[in-house]
Amino acid sequence: MLQLVLSWPIRLIIIAVLVFSLFVDGAGYVYRVANHYPLTGNVPGLPPNFGGWQLYIHRGLDLAGGTHIDYLLTNFPPGQARADVQQRTIQVINKRVNSLGVSEPQIRGAGNNNDRITVDLAGVTAQQAQRTIGAISKLVYTKWVADTKVTNGPEPGYKPQFVGLTGDDIQSATSTIDQNGTSWVVNISFTSRGAGVFDNLTRDNVAACPGAGVDCPLRHLTIWLDLTQKDIDNWEDPNYVSKIYAPYDTGCLSAQTPNTICGKYLVDANSLTEIAGGQAVITGGFTQQSATDLATGINSGSLPVDLQVLDVTQVGSTLGAESVKLSLAAGLLGLSIVVIFMIIYYRVPGLLASIALLFYAAAVLAIFKVVPVTLTLAGITGFILSVGMAVDANVLIFERFKEEVRAGRTIAAAVDAAVHRAWPAIRDSNTSTLITCVILGFVGPPAVQGFAITLGIGVVASLVSAIVVTHNLLAIVMTGSALRRPVLMGVDRSARVV
Amino acid sequence: MRALSDIAPAEQAADIVPPPEKPPEKPIEKTAEPPRPEPRVRRLNIIGRRNIFFAISLLIIIPGIFSMATKGFLLGIDFAGGTEFTVNFSNHPSVATVENAVAADPLTAGGTVIQTGGGGGYIIRSLPLTPQQQALVEDNLTKRVGTMVVQQVIEVGGTIARETIEFALLALVLASAAILFLLAIRFRNVPGGWRAGFQFGGSALAALLHDVFLLTGLFSIMGKGLGWRIGEIDSLFVTAVLTVVGFSVHDTIVVFDRIRENLRVSQRLSFEQVVNISIMQTAARSIITSFTVVLVLAAILIAGGTTLKGFALALLIGIVSGTYSSIFNASPLLVVWRRVQPLR
Repeated sequence: MLQLVLSWPIRLIIIAVLVFSLFVDGAGYVYRVANHYPLTGNVPGLPPNFGGWQLYIHRGLDLAGGTHIDYLLTNFPPGQARADVQQRTIQVINKRVNSLGVSEPQIRGAGNNNDRITVDLAGVTAQQAQRTIGAISKLVYTKWVADTKVTNGPEPGYKPQFVGLTGDDIQSATSTIDQNGTSWVVNISFTSRGAGVFDNLTRDNVAACPGAGVDCPLRHLTIWLDLTQKDIDNWEDPNYVSKIYAPYDTGCLSAQTPNTICGKYLVDANSLTEIAGGQAVITGGFTQQSATDLATGINSGSLPVDLQVLDVTQVGSTLGAESVKLSLAAGLLGLSIVVIFMIIYYRVPGLLASIALLFYAAAVLAIFKVVPVTLTLAGITGFILSVGMAVDANVLIFERFKEEVRAGRTIAAAVDAAVHRAWPAIRDSNTSTLITCVILGFVGPPAVQGFAITLGIGVVASLVSAIVVTHNLLAIVMTGSALRRPVLMGVDRSARVV
Repeated sequence: MRALSDIAPAEQAADIVPPPEKPPEKPIEKTAEPPRPEPRVRRLNIIGRRNIFFAISLLIIIPGIFSMATKGFLLGIDFAGGTEFTVNFSNHPSVATVENAVAADPLTAGGTVIQTGGGGGYIIRSLPLTPQQQALVEDNLTKRVGTMVVQQVIEVGGTIARETIEFALLALVLASAAILFLLAIRFRNVPGGWRAGFQFGGSALAALLHDVFLLTGLFSIMGKGLGWRIGEIDSLFVTAVLTVVGFSVHDTIVVFDRIRENLRVSQRLSFEQVVNISIMQTAARSIITSFTVVLVLAAILIAGGTTLKGFALALLIGIVSGTYSSIFNASPLLVVWRRVQPLR
């Protein structure tokens, strides 16, 4: 296998990887140059999008600032798969969070028992986040009863009245395409209690306005989120009603003060026939988007579980920016110290190893962007640390190289022997580090996982850089006899050049 | 570094030091015979002095274990649970002012105040608080002390804290077991087969545990014994310990690999002689590698953010310890094990 390392196909692959890495690393600059923008300052369209890849470093919350919350789900509805309930809860949270306008909110399920949800929101305070996610939205059904004092609003002459049917009575709402395959509808399935109430309601509605398919206010069942008795009492105020009747707005609700009036309306459906059996369909010229929105709206009115906050971390954006600056400084400092040390101690091989180290840094950064790996403070440390490890394989080879020269080999033969003999140690020692990384990555909490991932990527990249890149550079340098002078190779003058 | 280097084992058979029953008082210096001019080679008899090295390790580890057992650790917020505010007051108040304000607020009474740097930065810890209570605490602090920027608020419930500790122990056990088996598999082809493989694995494991106990012990002493905040234990510290585990084995494997190679090529030498030569041959590499990593870590320790300093220090101690144990503990232990349970 090691013979292959010096072949031209491998060299071409390495060059291709290097070019690709530099392109990815400098994607922002490539974009600026290609579009004739200045190289510094704000430019529209960054980060650039190359074939669906947003090539920029994804920063974790501790670097970007924001809020991280772990929720414990309790009170699972009986008789439903926990994984499904967890997924539905995630959708609900997603819907609620969307109103905050967070870029790339991360809402993930966790827990061995599907009983955890982790939420990462950049640029949001803990209070905002918790109010939005934990806001107790209650989905309620109303029918319409006559009230002559109501002159305006969605149904003039009528005001809503609670019918005792709430989000708790709904098992789920889903958007599907109807049997004809022509239009989008929303299916609602009720719990057994809900099914009974719904059956009675629709029967009364149809009886109130006899005739097939008649549209009269008494036949309407309307769904709201968080509609209160106080709202209904204010129904005679047309101004108030026009605000309440607006589409449901989580953003407004999460920021609401006692005096704001937020939209609470979801859908106003006409009962065409009595519906028994607990399966209802809402039709009405939906698009795929609007049907999905409505289904999510109905579902988000009913978190299927209770959310209990386990822990909250809120990081200010200034602290994050400072951490980035300090870590970058530490990384650059560390890298330059290592480069200087390697060149002084190992001369030409040290220089080549340093070049390989730069290749390694470029490649790892590109991997972080392409995968993408979300970088946290611990993750950056893993990366900086792997710079130190990247040198190790080189040191093993170079020390062995000195030994082989002392044992009487020519410099060219010694390079070859050194790489071959150092290989088992390099392989075994890096395997053990990788095993540690895998264990940390699987069982660790998120901060530790970030560290394990960057360190793991770093270890693999350092292997390639030391075995393939350095060795090839050495082999190329060997062809020039001027560079083969022992003093440049960091070995004794007494060694034979040949 | 020349002093630690060596020549190929086969050429050296005549230079081997006396058996360890009679350790020499000084390192033996010897000039190799020419076929061609050869540098002077000095050799340290590490195996012969193994008891000294074991004693040095125990001298650090035993107080550490004692401290862990009697005093425990200074726990960070993610282990202790509670609420932690990282704030920066614009009017640079004194520690006493902040402490008084914290004590005056019933929500934070009994909490702790830690100053971070001179620029008005403070860390305030209290029992777990709800978001509403947190907002109240922030309002009260602003009223009592002055305007401030809230840089970070961490709230950790008891469940998460317990899980983090469970994770730490689980990861350590898993990593140790995995490494033991990896070494047993990789070294089963030395004379002695699987039993030899487990001797290698077991010795590496012992060196690894040496580093774990040394590191945790020192942090217990620093955190509780000396009351330094840098000795705080949090999940980053756990990460550091596990990284050190990886590094320590890394170093040990390099030495063991050389022992394996030398066992093949030099049948004339005793096991102890082979081990000693192997240590000498790999010492330069071990020290240089650790040195470069230490340089990088020192850079983080000096230039990195406050949050990373404890982490960098833990790694620094661990890696130095890992290098020490791979040279002075793992291989001598292998020799001792061979004597107790001979395989050839």
